[in-house]
Amino acid sequence: MAWYLGRVGQYGLVLLVAMTFNFALPRAMPGSPLRYLAGEDVGLLTPAQVADLRASYGLDRPLASQYVAYLGDAVRGAWGFSYQLGKPVAAAIRERLPWTLLLVGSSLLVATALGIVGGAIAAWRRGGRFDTAALSGAILVDALPTFWLGMLFVAAFAVSWRLLPVFGAYTPWGDRSGWPFALDVARHLVLPATTLTLASLSGTFLVMRYAMLDVLGQDYVRTARAKGLPERRVVLGHAVRNALLPVSTVVFLNLGFLVGGATVVETVFAYPGVGTLLYQAVLARDYPVLQGAFFMLTVSVLLANVLADAVYPLLDPRVRRGG
Amino acid sequence: MGTPLTVPLAGADRAGPGARQRPWLAALFRTRAAAFGTVVLAVVLATALFGRALAPYDPREVVARPYQPPSTQHWLGTNDIGQDIFSELLWGTRASLTVGLVAALAAVVVGTAVGVVAGLAGGWIDAVLMRATDVVLTLPFLPLAIVLAAFLGPSLGNTALVLALVIWARPARVVRSHALGIAGHAYVEAAHALGGGFGHVLRRHVVPAVLPLALSQFILAVSSAILAEASLAFLGLGDPIQKSWGSVLFYAQSRGAFLSGAWPWWVVPPGLLIALTVLGFALVGRSLEAVLLPRLRGR
Repeated sequence: MAWYLGRVGQYGLVLLVAMTFNFALPRAMPGSPLRYLAGEDVGLLTPAQVADLRASYGLDRPLASQYVAYLGDAVRGAWGFSYQLGKPVAAAIRERLPWTLLLVGSSLLVATALGIVGGAIAAWRRGGRFDTAALSGAILVDALPTFWLGMLFVAAFAVSWRLLPVFGAYTPWGDRSGWPFALDVARHLVLPATTLTLASLSGTFLVMRYAMLDVLGQDYVRTARAKGLPERRVVLGHAVRNALLPVSTVVFLNLGFLVGGATVVETVFAYPGVGTLLYQAVLARDYPVLQGAFFMLTVSVLLANVLADAVYPLLDPRVRRGG
Repeated sequence: MGTPLTVPLAGADRAGPGARQRPWLAALFRTRAAAFGTVVLAVVLATALFGRALAPYDPREVVARPYQPPSTQHWLGTNDIGQDIFSELLWGTRASLTVGLVAALAAVVVGTAVGVVAGLAGGWIDAVLMRATDVVLTLPFLPLAIVLAAFLGPSLGNTALVLALVIWARPARVVRSHALGIAGHAYVEAAHALGGGFGHVLRRHVVPAVLPLALSQFILAVSSAILAEASLAFLGLGDPIQKSWGSVLFYAQSRGAFLSGAWPWWVVPPGLLIALTVLGFALVGRSLEAVLLPRLRGR
């Protein structure tokens, strides 16, 4: 219980820091915060209009009361108005979020599965051909810029092979319902998800391999072998099961990285998620959208962590007992 | 995992300055991978220093027709407005490398200071510093950097600042766990018991023991800073005046390198340069870590 309270406290702190960061940035920059909240065009307004606008954003009130009001707005999802898109920031993000969840979720799933299996095999056959190849592969892939990997896929598939779509999340003029649509979405997902999976594979793989090596050297594994258990049961029943514990924490630590990777991958493939929204906001200097997208991504990472905390005791009975 | 990171470095420490330098150099060529990394880094460093003098053209000038394929005059062809891509990359080497080195240095100095103070002081100071570190580690790295960079405005200095602000937390965590191990050692307790103050223990025992770790953390931080700089530049947050590898890729993406078929010489080379450089730093960093801190290997 104390463990849960500590975790929840930490997440609350991260949330508060993210909100404070968003509150402080426009106000800490030189010049009027209006430039960041309402757009660069405020320079063209008359003084009376500027005063009106300041009042409507609450900028005429003391900083402390602005802060309290800001926190309330942030929690309620009132994240300001996008002057570029002409709609509330929260609405713009809500349209995009499902695509990012689909992309990040499928990549996380595949990368975790491949990382666990690969790490287990590599550790079991330590120093073997697969281990050597996978280790060098992991180091190599870690050095590649994620967006460049995506660009190579675009080049290969859009320009040369034309097997898979490289643009968007669905065919814009196609049917939007039923199995054909699902298939269309899946085809559009393949390349971005493959890019993101490749980019995030090495983390899980390396931790699984290391944890497996650790477990394989333990006394109970030696005992299991000594009492004549078949190798398959030693590896699957004893080693893999216990090695999964440290991996489960890393999987969710990986999520912050995945969300960042999704930003550049979506940009490369013009995938209509929060990452592309972030990119368009950068180009248009649409500050409210930038801040809203950052906040939404932070909240997503925290929610995933909460989920991990709920799953972890199922894997590790020691936590369940409160030990 | 069950193994606490209590790594006694007293041995390496007492052997004197001469002995401390040799594993250093040996690490650069210890394995074939490390030697490869060292050679790559030497070439990249030389390019950063002399690339501008060697560049056949000024990459800011329009010197040929746009979208030219590679030729003897333009080894990597020309971009959408007719600038020489090979010269762009030679110039960009300095920008990309400088941002990476400066950001990593700032991040590791801050991270090491935080880690050492937290590990030695313990108590509420440790608790506060580690809460702060965890907050930074939990926030999504790239989106945080994007928002900061957008507000501060695009310039190489701001990019380095932004990256330092988001990178310092990892070295802080690693250094703290190491400092904790040192603080628990008998010889440090003896120094305390003999009347050595906080400053004395810090200078004589902790800083020398932490420096090798800080060095390997620095080299690993350079590789993540170079990657992150490329990502920021690719998202349009690069310095509009200075060319970097990432900004060349930004223009390639936004100005139709794919539609024009120019991608083999416009998209592939800058990415390869980034990958090789990052790989070089990672290989050398790992080798250093393995030599200087054998027990931390495979972390």
